[in-house]
Amino acid sequence: MASNRWLATGNYCTTYGEEQRIFATSLDRTFMCLFIVILFAWPLLFDVGSKYMLVIDNILIAVIAVIGLNLVTGFAGLISIGHAAFVGIGAYTISSFATVLGDRHMFITHGWPLTIVLAGCMGGGVGALVGLPAMRLKHLYLAIATLSFQMIFEWVVNFMDFFNQGQFIPVGRVHWVTGEVGRSDHYIFWYYVILVLVVLVSFGVRNLLRTRYGRCLVAVRDNDRAADAMGMHPGFTKVYAFGLAGFFAGVAGALHAYLSRGVGIDSFTLHYSINYLAMAIVGGLGTLNGAFWGPVAIKVLDLQVERLSEWAGNHLTTATNLTTALRPLSFGLVIVLFLMFEPRGIANWWRIARSYVKLWPFRY
Amino acid sequence: MSYFFQLVVSGIVVGSIYALSALGFVLIYKSSRVLNIAHGQIIAAGAFITYALTVWVGIPIYVSFLMSMVATFFLAMSVERIFLRRLIGEPIISVIMVTIGLMSILDGLIYLTPFGTENFSFPPFLPTEPLVLGGVSISWTQLMGVIITFVLIGGFSWFFKKSTVGISMRAVSDDQLASMSIGISVPRVFGLAWATAGLSAAAAGGIIGNITGLNFDTLHAYGIVVFPVVILGGLDSILGAVVAGIIMGLIQQFAGGYLDGNWGLHGTGQVLPYIILLIILLFKPHGLFGIHEIERV
Repeated sequence: MASNRWLATGNYCTTYGEEQRIFATSLDRTFMCLFIVILFAWPLLFDVGSKYMLVIDNILIAVIAVIGLNLVTGFAGLISIGHAAFVGIGAYTISSFATVLGDRHMFITHGWPLTIVLAGCMGGGVGALVGLPAMRLKHLYLAIATLSFQMIFEWVVNFMDFFNQGQFIPVGRVHWVTGEVGRSDHYIFWYYVILVLVVLVSFGVRNLLRTRYGRCLVAVRDNDRAADAMGMHPGFTKVYAFGLAGFFAGVAGALHAYLSRGVGIDSFTLHYSINYLAMAIVGGLGTLNGAFWGPVAIKVLDLQVERLSEWAGNHLTTATNLTTALRPLSFGLVIVLFLMFEPRGIANWWRIARSYVKLWPFRY
Repeated sequence: MSYFFQLVVSGIVVGSIYALSALGFVLIYKSSRVLNIAHGQIIAAGAFITYALTVWVGIPIYVSFLMSMVATFFLAMSVERIFLRRLIGEPIISVIMVTIGLMSILDGLIYLTPFGTENFSFPPFLPTEPLVLGGVSISWTQLMGVIITFVLIGGFSWFFKKSTVGISMRAVSDDQLASMSIGISVPRVFGLAWATAGLSAAAAGGIIGNITGLNFDTLHAYGIVVFPVVILGGLDSILGAVVAGIIMGLIQQFAGGYLDGNWGLHGTGQVLPYIILLIILLFKPHGLFGIHEIERV
């Protein structure tokens, strides 16, 4: 162990246990604690208005969903083009409770922590079911299987009366110990709920990746036959990866349903599946902090594109709606450019920046 | 009984279009092992170019049909050259994601044109009176579409079986290393495979546009519905694409004709292909005619 652990220039591990630590150095841990404290404290100091609070809430929900997608696509190496459908499963679980019990039933308004977990379990179950072809198949076929699940999901929602044929299904306001969460506190309240969940989920996943159940995902991605020889079951591991991804997606979907106080098919279409994939890739596949960079980058890009097309729409007189055109165009360009020039995503820039700071001024 | 035969006829019409769309998809997969998710957008682009040339420029439709095929030939070739060429040897996940990105880019470009939001239809150039044979009617456009489809499929099959380029394409799909060693330029073959796929996509687009009218949503949906077709037929089999295309067309029409409206079901034709896809993936993942790859350690 270095004599001054706060200013170590490198990490010298002398035991396997040290190599497996969640934070490589004490400095990392301190900064992370500070960062989390700031995340919890800033809404008390600044008021950003409900419009931007909604954006921030949506980013955090996307973070949970992308962590799930990153587990299945980044760590286990299985492409999922149906992630929005898994998110939709979570959201529609909540809406089913609302339809069966009435949208202001105690179970929804007071038992929301339970319903969120139930929605996650539902997503996990469906995820494992969709992942079943993974027992026999490789990535390419799996991508098609998840795509077809997306189409089947959209059809089921669009054509069933139980789901109001894809139209909006309202979900009631929730209660906290201080009583009903009103309109003015809605976004702040959910900011804290989602933030707590994001912290729990990311530490959970970080820990999972240290155990055999997380490491088997990476092993199967890198070489499934070698993993088989080492005593893992590649098929079950893949199904389990899908189940895990489905669980996080389900939780994200439930949060989305509560946050927007209702569920409609518009937020769970193929377009959104591609959106989640774009977030995972831009952030960096197979890295945990990539799941944070990606949603932030894509949502900020989205806002900028919206602003740009609004500005252009005022100056140009065209019949076409520029937002519908520029949004997919910018998405596609971002995905393609990242894959061509920075396949490891923003997480790699972060890594470079970190090592620059860490080695300063003794660069080599 | 004539209802049944009517469904058979429309199933074959729809199915042959599926076959033609799936053909381009299979071509790309067969030679370069790339899953082209942007195929529907190329189909749509082909249809729109045909329309623009016919109506806005005023070229006779037969000529503009051929011209749009040439245009998408170069469009698809440049797509391969710009985006896919530098990804040769990259993990398959990046390649699939690039085609997803391409799909988004082409979507955006098409939304910039009037075609993205408005509906158009081709001016009628064939007799509008449908052809009636024993109680079964088929419109001249549909008949023409089926004939063109089968001529094109025949042409492509000949091209693959006999021509030098076709043989080199098959060689590359079989073994890239061996075909490189006998002097085939593998990247050039990839480019040509994309180009031929673009050509067949434009043909499919033109035919769909004439039969159903030009609507971007329906046109690019063909790029997704092509997946069940190619999985049923086997991802790397041209014969499989044709047979499965027609089977899928028949299934869709029968589902729409007999299931819809009964037992509270609607739009079953849209979802049945995907359910079949999942079942095939579970039990016979290499499809009817696909090659079962055997892995050895």
